[in-house]
Amino acid sequence: MRPSPTRKKPLWLWAGIVGIVALALGIAVWSTSGSDTTVSQGTTATDNSSSSAAETQPVTVEGTPLPAPPDAGEDLAIGMTVPTLRGFRFDGSAIDIVPDGRAKMVVFLAHWCPHCNREIPVLQGWAEAGGVPPDLDIVGVSTAVSSQRENFPPSQWLIASEWSWPLLADSVNSDAAIAYGIGGFPSFVIVGADGTVKARSSGELPVADLDALVKQAVAG
Amino acid sequence: MVGLSVLAMERFFALLTLLAGALAIALIAARLLPAAPYLLELVRPVRLWLAWLIAAVSMAGSLYFSESANFVPCKLCWFQRIAMYPLAVLLLIAAARRDDGIRRYAIPLASIGAAISAYHYLIEWRPSLGSGTCDITAPCTVPWFRQFGFISLPFMALSGFVAIVALLTLGPSHKES
Repeated sequence: MRPSPTRKKPLWLWAGIVGIVALALGIAVWSTSGSDTTVSQGTTATDNSSSSAAETQPVTVEGTPLPAPPDAGEDLAIGMTVPTLRGFRFDGSAIDIVPDGRAKMVVFLAHWCPHCNREIPVLQGWAEAGGVPPDLDIVGVSTAVSSQRENFPPSQWLIASEWSWPLLADSVNSDAAIAYGIGGFPSFVIVGADGTVKARSSGELPVADLDALVKQAVAG
Repeated sequence: MVGLSVLAMERFFALLTLLAGALAIALIAARLLPAAPYLLELVRPVRLWLAWLIAAVSMAGSLYFSESANFVPCKLCWFQRIAMYPLAVLLLIAAARRDDGIRRYAIPLASIGAAISAYHYLIEWRPSLGSGTCDITAPCTVPWFRQFGFISLPFMALSGFVAIVALLTLGPSHKES
């Protein structure tokens, strides 16, 4: 197509645009001045026997980390012994996730994840309905903590969500989630009584799928 | 942008988003209302430059949020970038050359971007329509922010794409063509 003929440039229009943009910038600065968006994630202790209250806590990983789950096909983590996680709750008290002869369902949760928000009530309802086998322990891991995202701090979020099981607070670098090869949230890792991975799943699970998942752990 | 808080920049780009959205709505309304040709004739001579300006500011905002504010782009964000970034270059060249033929290339690109943005915005509000899981680093269903309660990053992109389409569909005046 031929270029259009030259036209006189409406400079006043451009001046108006520049003025409006400058006004928008001024309004943005003025309306947000004094707002403090920096939220402390708490201190991170280096002592592995105790810690202070914080939204993230140091985690020590012992053993071989699990590989990331595949997009499709066989999960190579099945049958592997889970690594031991030694860490802390939000209040600084120690908690370990270790192969101790009992089947476990380790649930990885992120406070900002809407699917985690939806799954917690499902888990609670499942437990209240007697769906959790007596020889299965449930333990949560609060991970991927970000003060920039919704529902921070996770300690308050989990209280509001009525999370009722033991919970380990992951480190700033999400060492626990990395050790378990987590690829999405919420994630469920089913550990048999022998300490090996029986199943892994990520994403929301209805009660029927939770039942099927834990049967594998208890049977193992 | 040095010295401005991330919150101020979010608010700034949100205000520009409102302006782009208002422009798009006004252009569409003006075309539907025969009694309002004034706006169309006002904007028509600078439509390519305005479209470029919106694409360039969108690209700058996108880069600011990912590179300076460290908001990691999700998969759908990348698809929108694929649609928006070339527009910032192509529309500049077209505006400088007054080449209205760019419409044939830019409108499909912007329309695809708008469709992706609309879907992204939808699953931010209704995560159950998405994959059912949050990506560990950059989940598409989780907005980094919502200015004024509703302006998130895909909404910004959607406003930009729609405004660009509204401008480019104006076409040249009879005098120009």
